[in-house]
Amino acid sequence: MRFARRFLAAAGFAILARPAVGAPVKLVKPEQYRSRVVAAKKGRVVLVNFWATWCEPCREEMPALAAAAKGFPSKDVAVALVSTDSLKKTADVQKFLASEKIPFVCWQAKSSDPQRFIDAVDKTWNGVVPYTLVYDRKGEIAARLLGPQTERSFTEAVRKTLAASP
Amino acid sequence: MKKLPALASFASFLVVLSAALLGARAADLKIGERAPDFTLPAASDAKAVALKDLLAKNKAVAVIFVATKCPVSNAYNPRMAALGKEYAAKGISLVGINSNKTEPAVEVKEHAEKNGFTFPVLKDEGNKVADAYGASHTPEVFVLDAKGNLIYHGRIDESQDDPKNVKSPDLRIALDAVLAGKPVPTAQTKAFGCSIKRV
Repeated sequence: MRFARRFLAAAGFAILARPAVGAPVKLVKPEQYRSRVVAAKKGRVVLVNFWATWCEPCREEMPALAAAAKGFPSKDVAVALVSTDSLKKTADVQKFLASEKIPFVCWQAKSSDPQRFIDAVDKTWNGVVPYTLVYDRKGEIAARLLGPQTERSFTEAVRKTLAASP
Repeated sequence: MKKLPALASFASFLVVLSAALLGARAADLKIGERAPDFTLPAASDAKAVALKDLLAKNKAVAVIFVATKCPVSNAYNPRMAALGKEYAAKGISLVGINSNKTEPAVEVKEHAEKNGFTFPVLKDEGNKVADAYGASHTPEVFVLDAKGNLIYHGRIDESQDDPKNVKSPDLRIALDAVLAGKPVPTAQTKAFGCSIKRV
Protein backbone atom coordinates (compact mmCIF):
# COMPACT_ATOMS: atom_id res chain seq x y z
CA MET A 1 0.00 0.00 0.00
CA ARG A 2 2.77 2.35 0.95
CA PHE A 3 4.58 1.41 -2.25
CA ALA A 4 1.44 2.06 -4.29
CA ARG A 5 1.00 5.48 -2.67
CA ARG A 6 4.62 6.33 -3.37
CA PHE A 7 4.28 5.13 -6.95
CA LEU A 8 1.17 7.23 -7.52
CA ALA A 9 2.79 10.28 -5.93
CA ALA A 10 5.84 9.83 -8.10
CA ALA A 11 3.68 9.39 -11.20
CA GLY A 12 1.65 12.46 -10.30
CA PHE A 13 4.80 14.48 -9.81
CA ALA A 14 6.07 13.30 -13.16
CA ILE A 15 2.86 14.41 -14.86
CA LEU A 16 2.93 17.82 -13.22
CA ALA A 17 6.57 18.31 -14.00
CA ARG A 18 6.30 17.19 -17.61
CA PRO A 19 7.56 20.01 -19.78
CA ALA A 20 5.09 21.56 -22.20
CA VAL A 21 7.70 22.11 -24.90
CA GLY A 22 5.98 22.07 -28.27
CA ALA A 23 2.47 22.09 -26.79
CA PRO A 24 0.07 24.11 -28.93
CA VAL A 25 -0.63 27.67 -27.90
CA LYS A 26 -4.19 27.98 -26.62
CA LEU A 27 -6.38 31.04 -27.03
CA VAL A 28 -7.98 32.62 -23.99
CA LYS A 29 -10.68 35.29 -23.95
CA PRO A 30 -10.79 37.97 -21.24
CA GLU A 31 -13.75 36.34 -19.50
CA GLN A 32 -11.97 32.98 -19.49
CA TYR A 33 -8.68 34.18 -18.05
CA ARG A 34 -9.47 33.63 -14.38
CA SER A 35 -11.08 30.22 -14.80
CA ARG A 36 -8.75 28.73 -17.40
CA VAL A 37 -5.37 30.19 -16.56
CA VAL A 38 -5.55 30.80 -12.80
CA ALA A 39 -8.40 28.89 -11.16
CA ALA A 40 -7.63 25.71 -13.06
CA LYS A 41 -4.48 25.50 -10.95
CA LYS A 42 -6.22 26.36 -7.69
CA GLY A 43 -4.50 24.98 -4.66
CA ARG A 44 -1.13 25.74 -6.17
CA VAL A 45 0.75 29.01 -6.39
CA VAL A 46 0.49 30.16 -10.01
CA LEU A 47 3.00 32.36 -11.79
CA VAL A 48 1.68 33.93 -14.98
CA ASN A 49 4.11 35.70 -17.28
CA PHE A 50 2.72 38.08 -19.91
CA TRP A 51 4.95 38.52 -22.92
CA ALA A 52 5.14 39.01 -26.67
CA THR A 53 7.48 37.82 -29.39
CA TRP A 54 8.22 41.41 -30.44
CA CYS A 55 9.24 42.31 -26.88
CA GLU A 56 12.99 41.89 -26.54
CA PRO A 57 13.10 42.07 -22.72
CA CYS A 58 10.38 39.40 -22.66
CA ARG A 59 12.41 37.07 -24.84
CA GLU A 60 15.51 37.78 -22.80
CA GLU A 61 13.90 36.98 -19.46
CA MET A 62 12.30 33.73 -20.63
CA PRO A 63 15.38 31.57 -19.94
CA ALA A 64 15.56 33.09 -16.45
CA LEU A 65 11.98 32.03 -15.82
CA ALA A 66 12.70 28.55 -17.14
CA ALA A 67 15.74 28.31 -14.87
CA ALA A 68 13.80 29.56 -11.85
CA ALA A 69 10.97 27.11 -12.53
CA LYS A 70 13.36 24.18 -12.25
CA GLY A 71 13.56 25.00 -8.57
CA PHE A 72 9.80 25.26 -8.05
CA PRO A 73 8.13 22.24 -6.43
CA SER A 74 5.69 21.31 -9.19
CA LYS A 75 3.08 19.98 -6.77
CA ASP A 76 2.92 23.47 -5.25
CA VAL A 77 3.67 25.81 -8.15
CA ALA A 78 2.39 26.11 -11.72
CA VAL A 79 3.77 28.41 -14.39
CA ALA A 80 1.85 29.67 -17.39
CA LEU A 81 2.63 32.13 -20.16
CA VAL A 82 0.19 34.49 -21.80
CA SER A 83 1.25 35.97 -25.12
CA THR A 84 -0.15 39.36 -26.03
CA ASP A 85 0.90 38.97 -29.65
CA SER A 86 -1.49 39.65 -32.46
CA LEU A 87 -3.52 36.57 -33.37
CA LYS A 88 -1.80 36.72 -36.75
CA LYS A 89 1.42 35.81 -34.93
CA THR A 90 0.40 32.57 -33.24
CA ALA A 91 2.84 30.62 -35.41
CA ASP A 92 5.67 32.94 -34.34
CA VAL A 93 4.76 32.41 -30.68
CA GLN A 94 4.84 28.66 -31.17
CA LYS A 95 8.09 28.82 -33.08
CA PHE A 96 9.86 30.90 -30.43
CA LEU A 97 8.75 28.64 -27.57
CA ALA A 98 9.83 25.53 -29.43
CA SER A 99 13.17 26.95 -30.54
CA GLU A 100 13.99 28.12 -27.02
CA LYS A 101 12.61 24.90 -25.49
CA ILE A 102 10.41 26.88 -23.11
CA PRO A 103 8.67 24.27 -20.95
CA PHE A 104 5.44 26.09 -20.10
CA VAL A 105 1.87 26.06 -21.23
CA CYS A 106 1.30 29.17 -23.29
CA TRP A 107 -1.98 30.95 -23.78
CA GLN A 108 -2.60 33.73 -26.23
CA ALA A 109 -4.91 36.62 -25.46
CA LYS A 110 -7.93 36.67 -27.74
CA SER A 111 -9.81 39.92 -27.57
CA SER A 112 -11.02 42.39 -30.15
CA ASP A 113 -10.22 45.05 -27.56
CA PRO A 114 -6.86 44.71 -25.76
CA GLN A 115 -8.07 46.87 -22.89
CA ARG A 116 -10.73 44.31 -22.05
CA PHE A 117 -8.07 41.65 -21.65
CA ILE A 118 -5.71 43.90 -19.67
CA ASP A 119 -8.50 44.86 -17.28
CA ALA A 120 -9.69 41.27 -16.95
CA VAL A 121 -6.20 40.29 -15.84
CA ASP A 122 -5.43 43.18 -13.51
CA LYS A 123 -7.03 46.61 -13.50
CA THR A 124 -3.83 48.13 -12.13
CA TRP A 125 -1.79 46.84 -15.09
CA ASN A 126 -1.02 49.40 -17.80
CA GLY A 127 -0.48 46.66 -20.38
CA VAL A 128 3.30 46.91 -20.62
CA VAL A 129 5.10 43.59 -21.05
CA PRO A 130 6.92 41.79 -19.64
CA TYR A 131 4.59 41.59 -16.68
CA THR A 132 4.34 38.77 -14.19
CA LEU A 133 1.68 37.98 -11.65
CA VAL A 134 2.09 35.50 -8.83
CA TYR A 135 -1.16 34.13 -7.41
CA ASP A 136 -1.43 32.52 -4.01
CA ARG A 137 -3.09 29.14 -3.48
CA LYS A 138 -6.50 30.81 -3.28
CA GLY A 139 -6.02 32.46 -6.66
CA GLU A 140 -5.47 35.96 -5.29
CA ILE A 141 -2.70 38.16 -6.67
CA ALA A 142 0.21 37.97 -4.25
CA ALA A 143 2.91 39.71 -6.30
CA ARG A 144 3.12 41.97 -9.32
CA LEU A 145 6.47 42.00 -11.12
CA LEU A 146 6.82 44.91 -13.52
CA GLY A 147 9.39 44.78 -16.27
CA PRO A 148 12.11 42.26 -16.91
CA GLN A 149 12.98 39.88 -14.11
CA THR A 150 15.86 37.63 -13.17
CA GLU A 151 15.97 34.01 -12.07
CA ARG A 152 16.45 35.34 -8.57
CA SER A 153 13.51 37.75 -8.60
CA PHE A 154 11.16 35.11 -10.02
CA THR A 155 12.33 32.65 -7.39
CA GLU A 156 12.01 35.16 -4.59
CA ALA A 157 8.46 36.14 -5.54
CA VAL A 158 7.35 32.51 -5.63
CA ARG A 159 9.21 31.68 -2.42
CA LYS A 160 7.54 34.54 -0.56
CA THR A 161 4.11 33.54 -1.86
CA LEU A 162 4.64 29.94 -0.82
CA ALA A 163 5.84 31.04 2.60
CA ALA A 164 2.73 33.19 3.06
CA SER A 165 0.39 30.39 2.05
CA PRO A 166 2.04 27.10 3.06
CA MET B 1 20.73 43.84 -21.11
CA LYS B 2 24.21 45.11 -20.41
CA LYS B 3 26.11 42.95 -17.96
CA LEU B 4 27.76 44.77 -15.11
CA PRO B 5 30.70 43.09 -13.50
CA ALA B 6 30.34 43.82 -9.82
CA LEU B 7 27.38 42.76 -7.74
CA ALA B 8 27.32 46.19 -6.10
CA SER B 9 27.09 47.82 -9.50
CA PHE B 10 24.27 45.48 -10.43
CA ALA B 11 22.42 46.29 -7.21
CA SER B 12 22.86 50.00 -7.88
CA PHE B 13 21.59 49.47 -11.39
CA LEU B 14 18.47 47.75 -10.05
CA VAL B 15 17.86 50.61 -7.64
CA VAL B 16 18.25 53.15 -10.45
CA LEU B 17 16.00 51.08 -12.72
CA SER B 18 13.34 50.83 -10.02
CA ALA B 19 13.58 54.53 -9.32
CA ALA B 20 13.26 55.26 -13.02
CA LEU B 21 10.20 53.05 -13.32
CA LEU B 22 8.63 54.50 -10.21
CA GLY B 23 9.54 57.98 -11.36
CA ALA B 24 7.86 57.42 -14.69
CA ARG B 25 4.73 56.22 -12.93
CA ALA B 26 4.80 59.08 -10.42
CA ALA B 27 5.07 61.58 -13.27
CA ASP B 28 2.00 60.19 -15.05
CA LEU B 29 -0.05 63.08 -16.28
CA LYS B 30 -3.62 63.21 -15.12
CA ILE B 31 -6.53 64.31 -17.24
CA GLY B 32 -6.99 68.06 -16.85
CA GLU B 33 -3.39 68.68 -15.80
CA ARG B 34 -1.08 71.02 -17.66
CA ALA B 35 1.29 69.01 -19.81
CA PRO B 36 5.01 69.77 -19.51
CA ASP B 37 6.39 71.94 -22.27
CA PHE B 38 9.17 70.55 -24.43
CA THR B 39 11.44 71.60 -27.24
CA LEU B 40 12.96 68.79 -29.25
CA PRO B 41 14.78 68.50 -32.58
CA ALA B 42 12.77 67.32 -35.57
CA ALA B 43 14.18 64.07 -36.91
CA SER B 44 13.83 65.45 -40.45
CA ASP B 45 16.14 68.47 -40.18
CA ALA B 46 17.14 68.77 -36.50
CA LYS B 47 15.31 72.10 -36.22
CA ALA B 48 13.89 72.73 -32.77
CA VAL B 49 10.14 72.25 -32.39
CA ALA B 50 8.50 73.66 -29.29
CA LEU B 51 5.20 72.42 -27.92
CA LYS B 52 4.19 75.96 -26.96
CA ASP B 53 4.52 77.05 -30.60
CA LEU B 54 2.35 74.17 -31.78
CA LEU B 55 -0.25 74.99 -29.13
CA ALA B 56 -0.27 78.66 -30.17
CA LYS B 57 -1.10 77.73 -33.76
CA ASN B 58 -3.62 74.93 -33.17
CA LYS B 59 -6.91 74.12 -31.47
CA ALA B 60 -5.24 71.06 -29.96
CA VAL B 61 -2.08 69.00 -30.27
CA ALA B 62 -1.96 65.21 -30.26
CA VAL B 63 1.41 64.05 -28.95
CA ILE B 64 2.02 60.46 -30.03
CA PHE B 65 4.96 58.43 -28.78
CA VAL B 66 6.03 56.32 -31.74
CA ALA B 67 8.67 53.81 -32.73
CA THR B 68 10.33 52.62 -35.92
CA LYS B 69 10.68 48.95 -35.02
CA CYS B 70 7.66 48.27 -32.84
CA PRO B 71 5.16 46.14 -34.81
CA VAL B 72 2.26 47.55 -32.84
CA SER B 73 3.23 51.17 -33.53
CA ASN B 74 3.96 50.27 -37.14
CA ALA B 75 0.51 48.74 -37.55
CA TYR B 76 -0.82 52.24 -36.92
CA ASN B 77 1.47 54.09 -39.38
CA PRO B 78 -1.15 54.46 -42.14
CA ARG B 79 -3.72 55.57 -39.58
CA MET B 80 -1.36 58.12 -38.04
CA ALA B 81 -0.45 59.47 -41.49
CA ALA B 82 -4.12 59.81 -42.42
CA LEU B 83 -5.10 61.40 -39.11
CA GLY B 84 -2.18 63.83 -39.37
CA LYS B 85 -3.31 65.07 -42.78
CA GLU B 86 -7.01 65.14 -41.98
CA TYR B 87 -6.76 67.02 -38.70
CA ALA B 88 -4.02 69.43 -39.79
CA ALA B 89 -6.58 70.79 -42.21
CA LYS B 90 -8.96 71.25 -39.29
CA GLY B 91 -6.48 73.05 -37.06
CA ILE B 92 -5.19 70.19 -34.93
CA SER B 93 -1.57 69.11 -35.13
CA LEU B 94 -0.16 65.69 -34.52
CA VAL B 95 3.40 65.48 -33.29
CA GLY B 96 5.31 62.23 -33.04
CA ILE B 97 7.98 61.67 -30.42
CA ASN B 98 10.50 58.88 -30.64
CA SER B 99 12.07 58.23 -27.24
CA ASN B 100 13.61 54.85 -27.97
CA LYS B 101 17.34 54.79 -27.30
CA THR B 102 17.62 52.02 -29.89
CA GLU B 103 16.29 54.16 -32.76
CA PRO B 104 18.58 56.99 -33.91
CA ALA B 105 17.32 60.21 -35.51
CA VAL B 106 18.35 59.17 -39.00
CA GLU B 107 16.24 56.03 -38.71
CA VAL B 108 13.31 58.05 -37.34
CA LYS B 109 13.60 60.45 -40.29
CA GLU B 110 13.61 57.62 -42.85
CA HIS B 111 10.70 55.92 -41.12
CA ALA B 112 8.62 59.11 -41.12
CA GLU B 113 9.32 59.73 -44.80
CA LYS B 114 8.62 56.15 -45.79
CA ASN B 115 5.28 56.21 -43.99
CA GLY B 116 4.19 59.59 -45.30
CA PHE B 117 4.05 61.37 -41.95
CA THR B 118 3.39 65.03 -42.72
CA PHE B 119 3.46 65.94 -39.03
CA PRO B 120 6.76 66.53 -37.23
CA VAL B 121 8.44 63.56 -35.59
CA LEU B 122 10.84 64.59 -32.87
CA LYS B 123 13.77 62.77 -31.33
CA ASP B 124 13.67 62.60 -27.54
CA GLU B 125 17.25 61.72 -26.65
CA GLY B 126 17.50 60.47 -23.10
CA ASN B 127 13.69 59.93 -23.02
CA LYS B 128 13.26 63.09 -20.97
CA VAL B 129 9.87 63.94 -22.47
CA ALA B 130 8.67 60.35 -22.17
CA ASP B 131 9.61 60.52 -18.49
CA ALA B 132 7.94 63.91 -18.01
CA TYR B 133 4.73 62.58 -19.53
CA GLY B 134 4.96 59.14 -17.93
CA ALA B 135 4.68 57.53 -21.36
CA SER B 136 5.22 53.77 -21.36
CA HIS B 137 4.20 52.49 -24.77
CA THR B 138 4.42 53.01 -28.47
CA PRO B 139 1.99 54.06 -29.70
CA GLU B 140 0.65 56.16 -26.83
CA VAL B 141 -1.32 59.36 -27.31
CA PHE B 142 -1.63 62.52 -25.21
CA VAL B 143 -4.09 65.06 -26.59
CA LEU B 144 -3.63 68.59 -25.26
CA ASP B 145 -6.11 71.41 -25.66
CA ALA B 146 -4.95 74.84 -26.79
CA LYS B 147 -4.01 75.71 -23.21
CA GLY B 148 -1.81 72.63 -22.99
CA ASN B 149 -4.08 70.71 -20.65
CA LEU B 150 -4.38 66.96 -21.07
CA ILE B 151 -7.82 66.05 -22.41
CA TYR B 152 -7.20 62.52 -23.74
CA HIS B 153 -4.62 59.87 -22.94
CA GLY B 154 -4.37 56.35 -24.27
CA ARG B 155 -4.58 54.42 -27.51
CA ILE B 156 -5.33 55.42 -31.07
CA ASP B 157 -8.04 52.78 -31.31
CA GLU B 158 -8.63 49.23 -30.14
CA SER B 159 -7.99 47.38 -33.39
CA GLN B 160 -4.30 46.89 -34.07
CA ASP B 161 -4.74 44.33 -36.80
CA ASP B 162 -7.83 45.44 -38.61
CA PRO B 163 -8.05 49.16 -39.40
CA LYS B 164 -11.25 48.56 -41.37
CA ASN B 165 -13.00 47.10 -38.36
CA VAL B 166 -12.32 49.75 -35.72
CA LYS B 167 -15.18 49.95 -33.24
CA SER B 168 -13.65 52.43 -30.83
CA PRO B 169 -11.72 55.18 -32.69
CA ASP B 170 -10.72 56.83 -29.43
CA LEU B 171 -8.24 59.39 -30.75
CA ARG B 172 -10.58 60.48 -33.54
CA ILE B 173 -13.45 60.81 -31.05
CA ALA B 174 -11.27 62.99 -28.82
CA LEU B 175 -10.18 65.24 -31.69
CA ASP B 176 -13.74 65.58 -32.98
CA ALA B 177 -14.86 66.54 -29.48
CA VAL B 178 -12.28 69.35 -29.48
CA LEU B 179 -13.55 70.60 -32.83
CA ALA B 180 -17.14 70.45 -31.57
CA GLY B 181 -16.19 72.32 -28.41
CA LYS B 182 -17.37 69.43 -26.26
CA PRO B 183 -15.66 67.45 -23.53
CA VAL B 184 -13.94 64.24 -24.61
CA PRO B 185 -16.41 61.46 -23.73
CA THR B 186 -13.76 58.87 -22.82
CA ALA B 187 -10.71 60.80 -21.73
CA GLN B 188 -8.62 57.81 -20.64
CA THR B 189 -8.02 54.47 -22.32
CA LYS B 190 -5.19 51.99 -21.88
CA ALA B 191 -2.51 52.30 -24.51
CA PHE B 192 -1.00 49.04 -25.67
CA GLY B 193 2.12 48.26 -27.62
CA CYS B 194 5.84 48.05 -27.12
CA SER B 195 7.54 49.48 -24.09
CA ILE B 196 9.64 52.59 -24.67
CA LYS B 197 13.31 51.63 -24.73
CA ARG B 198 14.66 54.03 -22.12
CA VAL B 199 18.27 54.87 -21.33
